[in-house]
Amino acid sequence: MTPPAIVKEAIRRGLGMIAICDHNSSGNACATQKAAEGMLTVIAGMEITTAEEVHVLGLFPSVEAASEVSDEIHAVLPDVEQRTTPLHDQLLMDEKGAVIGKETKALYGSTTFRLSETADLIRRHHGLVIASHVDKPGFSVLGQLGLFPEDVSFDALEISIGGVRSRKYERYIPPTEAMITSSDSHFLCDIGSSCSVLLVLEPTFNELAGALRGRRCRFA
Amino acid sequence: MKLSDIEQKLHLQNITPEIGFEKLSKVTKGHSSDLMSDVLANAPGGSILVTNQIHVNVIAVALHAGLVAVIFSSGMTPEERVRQKAVEEGLPLFVSEDSTFDIVGELYKLGLRGH
Repeated sequence: MTPPAIVKEAIRRGLGMIAICDHNSSGNACATQKAAEGMLTVIAGMEITTAEEVHVLGLFPSVEAASEVSDEIHAVLPDVEQRTTPLHDQLLMDEKGAVIGKETKALYGSTTFRLSETADLIRRHHGLVIASHVDKPGFSVLGQLGLFPEDVSFDALEISIGGVRSRKYERYIPPTEAMITSSDSHFLCDIGSSCSVLLVLEPTFNELAGALRGRRCRFA
Repeated sequence: MKLSDIEQKLHLQNITPEIGFEKLSKVTKGHSSDLMSDVLANAPGGSILVTNQIHVNVIAVALHAGLVAVIFSSGMTPEERVRQKAVEEGLPLFVSEDSTFDIVGELYKLGLRGH
């Protein structure tokens, strides 16, 4: 999953816009944007694990905004444990895919930000707040908390690829929020496996925000 | 087992003293989960819940599931607005410094079962 490989695969699969949403970090978003320049829109995002172990996607208008949120998240994460058998290395790469460093914080854990605080954090940096894979039993708002909390608003709810394929998402259709799906790719072969179609003038963050607000989106 | 007996035997801290539960019937069932979707789906009515999930949704879920009380483990203490909601709804809340595992073990010794 190097930045150029991600870009190449996304283009090959006919995607017009992707978001890089590493867990609790935006370290590789800038490099992927550079690798995609002129060819594909890359949104700087992040999948944040709240204190309740809910996954929330933050999509940001700029790499700088994502980076500021990433810094606030890192401040509350523990350092990577030194184990005898290391987990996957958390690599940082440049736009050519060369490894330039490693994340020193344990990105796989949960932050100390509660769900409402996480949504506030994202919004303070003008990001979009999306509830990840609400149809999955694990790490989702409904799975962890049982009900949608009253004090948090989302810009969209995400249905997982499994939910879309099995068509078991009718019960999650929200009254006001947009519903999207995405591949949640952790491997190159998953890119484009599930995606959303947006009605927009151009593939930009502002148009994305407008499409979600106006619910001008559907599963591909 | 009466709730007041459970409180005493497990050395629980009652964080909703405003609620009088002397008239509550005996508790015979318990459930343990930190996933509220699981509590909604599987906790037996009339059971006592042991959890370290302190999000405000715990109260709504406990009421939906017909639970009699909630014990928060490992010293996890919900914030005041959660406590207030529980008081309004008449749902007793307790805090224990012990782990979920040990609390459930003690409840089991007192005769409570999962179903």
